[in-house]
Amino acid sequence: MKLLTANFVQCSVKACSATPKCFPLHFDQQTADVPLELAHEDVDFSPEFIYNILPRIDWPALLITARELGNNMLPETTPEIENPNAPENEQILRDLHTLLLETQIIQGSMRCENCNHIYFIRDSIPNFLLPGHLVQ
Amino acid sequence: MFPTPSTSHVDYDQVYEPSEDSFLFLDLLQEERSFIQERFSDSSKLGIPTVLELGLGSGIITTFFHNYILPQALFLGTDVNPHACKTALETSRANNGTRYFDVLRTNIWDGLRPNTVDVLLFNPPYVPADNLGSYESSIKSDDWLDFALLGGEDGMQVTKIVLDQLDFVMRDRGVAYILFCFRNKPEEVAKAMTDRGWSVKKIGERKIRWEILSIWRFSR
Repeated sequence: MKLLTANFVQCSVKACSATPKCFPLHFDQQTADVPLELAHEDVDFSPEFIYNILPRIDWPALLITARELGNNMLPETTPEIENPNAPENEQILRDLHTLLLETQIIQGSMRCENCNHIYFIRDSIPNFLLPGHLVQ
Repeated sequence: MFPTPSTSHVDYDQVYEPSEDSFLFLDLLQEERSFIQERFSDSSKLGIPTVLELGLGSGIITTFFHNYILPQALFLGTDVNPHACKTALETSRANNGTRYFDVLRTNIWDGLRPNTVDVLLFNPPYVPADNLGSYESSIKSDDWLDFALLGGEDGMQVTKIVLDQLDFVMRDRGVAYILFCFRNKPEEVAKAMTDRGWSVKKIGERKIRWEILSIWRFSR
């Protein structure tokens, strides 16, 4: 699972989806069975692709996810970029490319702050299936 | 005609084998290509589109989509079947891959944030059946093929949930492509969705043996 995907998912327990705490899910507590494992996976760099992703990002949530995964390099707010192909923007777009697209969460777990349910990621695939007693 | 993605690596004991319904999907998406490309040509303000496929199976539809219909997109897909989740990623990679494709193992789109999807692709379990398998029994037996096919009453049990939640999941410019068989009563569905404010169009149909399959487009 790419780091950016954490920006598109939330707790799948129905009662949590009505609360703001269902998002983002948190990486701050990992388990011994499925320890957090990150990997770098090369992806072709396209400045426009990253530039066009920016409007899709919930930036405060991304900051939380990145920090919990050990990255404190992000600016506090969405970078304001006018021309993705201008040389002065290349570094920030490359950094975002590395963080959002090339950072694979191979395994680990994500926790809902509201209900504390743990969602495991294995083989880069997060599992949002709920045990029977949590399905309404 | 664009070539069908290669699926020679797929184990069809574990994952739904691409069949006439899948191929109809590919053929009709090809006819929708200019509509889709035009609709999502400007990514600078609204951002890059997200394409979600429900029930990925082999991953052939998403792979075809990123290769030939809309390469510049974020691709997400879901399946309850863990073998399908892995296989769909492999199919994408085996056919040159794309910049962004992640798979969630989940029931329909549980766990996905609301207001996320620009293009929805759904070849559902559409075959009418007395009962619908539960994923808990499939987890126990590790047998997923019926689950990919059987759709409960009128074959609409899963599709109905998707249609009922479409408003929450799709973004403003969203467009959903959903396959129906004749016994799903697609004309009735189209009318109900039109009443709910969706613009609905049958983009094509094909008679396959005793069945008539059609794909419908739902847009805002």
